[in-house]
Amino acid sequence: MTYHGYAGKILRLDMTNRKAVAIDTAPYRRWGGGHGMGSALFWDFCTDKTITDGRHPANVCCVMTSPLCGTIVPSAGGRCEVVGVGVGQYPVSWFTRSNFGGRFSTMLKYAGWDGIVIEGTADEPVWIDIRNDQVLFHTADDLWGKDTWATQQEIRKLLHIKRGTQAHWQNLDALPLADDRGYAEQQSDRTTQKPAILCIGPAGEYQTPHAALIHDAGNGAGQGGFGAVWGSKNLKAISVIGTGGIKVHDPKTLLRARMITKEKYVVNWQTPDFHAWTRVGNLPKPLIQTAMPTDERRPQACQGCINGCRSRYNIGYGNESACQETFWYGPYVRKIAKNSAEDTEINLKSADIVQKYGLNSFVLQPGLHWLEHLYEEGILGPGRQIPSELPWQSIGTLDFAEKLIHALSTKTDIGADLAEGWVQAALKWGREEDLHTGALQFSYWGVPEHGYDPRAELEWGYGSLMGDRDTNTHCFNYIFTNVSAAFAFGKPLRIGAEQMVTLHAKKLSPYAKDRPEVLDYSDANMYSEAVAQLVRWQQHYCRFYKNSALFCDLKWPDFVNTNVSNFEGATGSLDAGEQVFWNAVTGDAISFEEGIEIGRRIWNLDNAIWVLQGRHRDMVHFAPYIYKTIYKKGEIFPFFMWTCRDDNGNWRYQDLMGRSLDREKVEEWKSIFYQLEGWDSKTGWPTRTTLEQMEMGYVADTLEAAGKLGEDAS
Amino acid sequence: MKHTKHIESSGITRRQFLVTSSAAGAALILPGSLLAIPVSMPDSEGYLLVDLKKCQGCGTCMMACALAHSGEASYSLSRIQIQQDSFANWPDDVFMAICRQCEDAPCVSVCPVRPVRANKPNPDWGYARMIDQNLCIGCKQCLTRCPFTPSRIQWDALQQKSQKCDLCANTPYLDEQGGPGGVQVCARVCPVNAITFTTEMPEQGAPSSYNTNLRDSAWLKLGMTTK
Repeated sequence: MTYHGYAGKILRLDMTNRKAVAIDTAPYRRWGGGHGMGSALFWDFCTDKTITDGRHPANVCCVMTSPLCGTIVPSAGGRCEVVGVGVGQYPVSWFTRSNFGGRFSTMLKYAGWDGIVIEGTADEPVWIDIRNDQVLFHTADDLWGKDTWATQQEIRKLLHIKRGTQAHWQNLDALPLADDRGYAEQQSDRTTQKPAILCIGPAGEYQTPHAALIHDAGNGAGQGGFGAVWGSKNLKAISVIGTGGIKVHDPKTLLRARMITKEKYVVNWQTPDFHAWTRVGNLPKPLIQTAMPTDERRPQACQGCINGCRSRYNIGYGNESACQETFWYGPYVRKIAKNSAEDTEINLKSADIVQKYGLNSFVLQPGLHWLEHLYEEGILGPGRQIPSELPWQSIGTLDFAEKLIHALSTKTDIGADLAEGWVQAALKWGREEDLHTGALQFSYWGVPEHGYDPRAELEWGYGSLMGDRDTNTHCFNYIFTNVSAAFAFGKPLRIGAEQMVTLHAKKLSPYAKDRPEVLDYSDANMYSEAVAQLVRWQQHYCRFYKNSALFCDLKWPDFVNTNVSNFEGATGSLDAGEQVFWNAVTGDAISFEEGIEIGRRIWNLDNAIWVLQGRHRDMVHFAPYIYKTIYKKGEIFPFFMWTCRDDNGNWRYQDLMGRSLDREKVEEWKSIFYQLEGWDSKTGWPTRTTLEQMEMGYVADTLEAAGKLGEDAS
Repeated sequence: MKHTKHIESSGITRRQFLVTSSAAGAALILPGSLLAIPVSMPDSEGYLLVDLKKCQGCGTCMMACALAHSGEASYSLSRIQIQQDSFANWPDDVFMAICRQCEDAPCVSVCPVRPVRANKPNPDWGYARMIDQNLCIGCKQCLTRCPFTPSRIQWDALQQKSQKCDLCANTPYLDEQGGPGGVQVCARVCPVNAITFTTEMPEQGAPSSYNTNLRDSAWLKLGMTTK
């Protein structure tokens, strides 16, 4: 069988017995790749799906590629999905996911693997060394304790990989540390590339909540705490180097669609529109949230990306960091920095710190607000109710950032109390009131959002609530960023509100095609069936196209695109839509909607796992402050603009600050959502009818045996 | 301007000759003395130029190159090799290794296959230096003779043959014409236009003569230097 797009086999790592076994990819083919395959593998190989802490030995962590990885599909070739039970959430650490970019998934595919299933626990630290078919377990005694950057460079040294560039071709069979056992003759396979290494730092070694997996300088799987999962398995790093390739079903169509993307949907370099409204079609502009430190830099991109969102500089810091990690510390630096240059330097060096420790800075954005609040209230600090010897008086300095991240990563100082999670620490400290007042803004499942408050941005909030963690899914929220930025900086509105929703609705098949009201976030529509359909669309779309096919969250979907005369973006298009690329690579002939249906199947499998972990609709709530307080302080702008209809049915962009969610109405909305999904609205559990419609009767059997199968509506 | 040069032999050793002869099957291999006979070598009518300071390291050119030529995405089968070190600083973090279509191409002169060399300037494709996979005997001499690091010749481990950049002349998986005068897929797909094609032969003695500055006013407005 020829596997177009697939390597054809998946690597199972038995950490307990230090064994590597290859299994066939074919039985998992119907799940697409990435998250879908990972969920299916978790279902098959996790023997205890009731576990609620990812550090449990029974946890299974899957690191998965997609058929599109290692190909030129724009902004899809370099992503990698991680799934398993997470760490540090509240009240339950759900089966969850994360995702990172760079070179790892490409190299894993070229080494001949569609993914890695990590099971069991090693009795001492190890690192895994994959060279095509050869898989070696090495002791990691000399790596344990090193940060993520030092770890990767030490592994390169162990493999005799040259620093820098201009390296000779390297024969894989000439690499050191080889083991003849089981090694297939590679016929002098050669590469000029460095191994791709995914590893943990101190935060992972200490099994700290929110510990990340880091690859290269700045690619991180931060959400979910998978660094702690690896730490619990004594897995320091996986290095992979491959010399093979991936067969593509229709290379001509793939090449043509890629060129169409560049030449039709992306800003023209000769007559550049620097303010284009599009996702896939912008020019490469780093997403750092500070002033640019220097113009002596390049854009830096994941494999196959069409517009890199990061930079490498000549200044020796900040390389490959972007977006949230470049401003987790920003509000405090701003208070002490003498000028813009110092502000940038401290922020980017603080980004380097979290990259090296392997700690997800996402949690710090609202988390540090809370800690500072406790310090200013005289509750936290030296000799206080919550003792901390950190130099809180110097918050904003690089020294404080280093000490804080060290404490959180090594479970020292306040890191000891935060070791099980932030909401858990609040309860331990007797600060439950902070969940009600909003002093601790962790919106759902013991984790925060990062600027997209559920009281304003409905699809983000509802999607997170019905899922497993902060959704961190940017399908629609560029409406907020683009429109709010236009208002804030006096830029022209490139697309009016009515045209915006109309263009979106054209592409919202199957649930909301030509139903622009799904994007009406006004008070009158915020608990509606229409909004529930939008949330369904986003979850199903993402579970397949973003989490399984691994289209980049920051570039896809492309609903609107001002580079095209009719403003219709690439998403779902017949010339360069997601399904065009999928079919060209795999040889499938799916429609755009059929991809979303695969996503629905994956979403249902995920929900079945959550149910086995203990989920019931009675525990599906936002944090109390979402209901009790109004949204009045934006992280990014002092207003939150979105598409709304007024009393006359006219569309406009409207500020959504100043409202809260109504608990009872959210409960009603949940019932609507469950019914639309075909789940039991009393429990939120999947029903047999729904599961069997998707050929998942075996999942229904398991739920029934556990006494957790939803009842079909009579 | 057209130039015609003489190819000087590499002086194949007796050991190399015996090894390659035994591996060659029906191919005809000339002894070293005959390889020393000069032959004419017209200049290539096309060259790739790159901007090392501009490349975003996405590898799209590599994957597209392999795809257009071989129907599969691969680093190892790519005629252009992009190397990057995530822990180095700009501009030393990226290197773009392109075939230079050398004036006196050592990979051509060392090719031992006769009467028609497997590696030769192809008059049908603007004298691009091309390896005929049907003639290549897999002796690997062109790999080792290329003076640049990394070698601009790739080894196809499955076919057990050498391959090199042909300016996209032989691209069965590209639905446009390649080669000099046609499309070079690496340049076409590059998201930041860090690769370009020229008909002017760059200076042959200078290691950096194939590096050029492709950063324009748009680049400057994106906040990156054009120097």
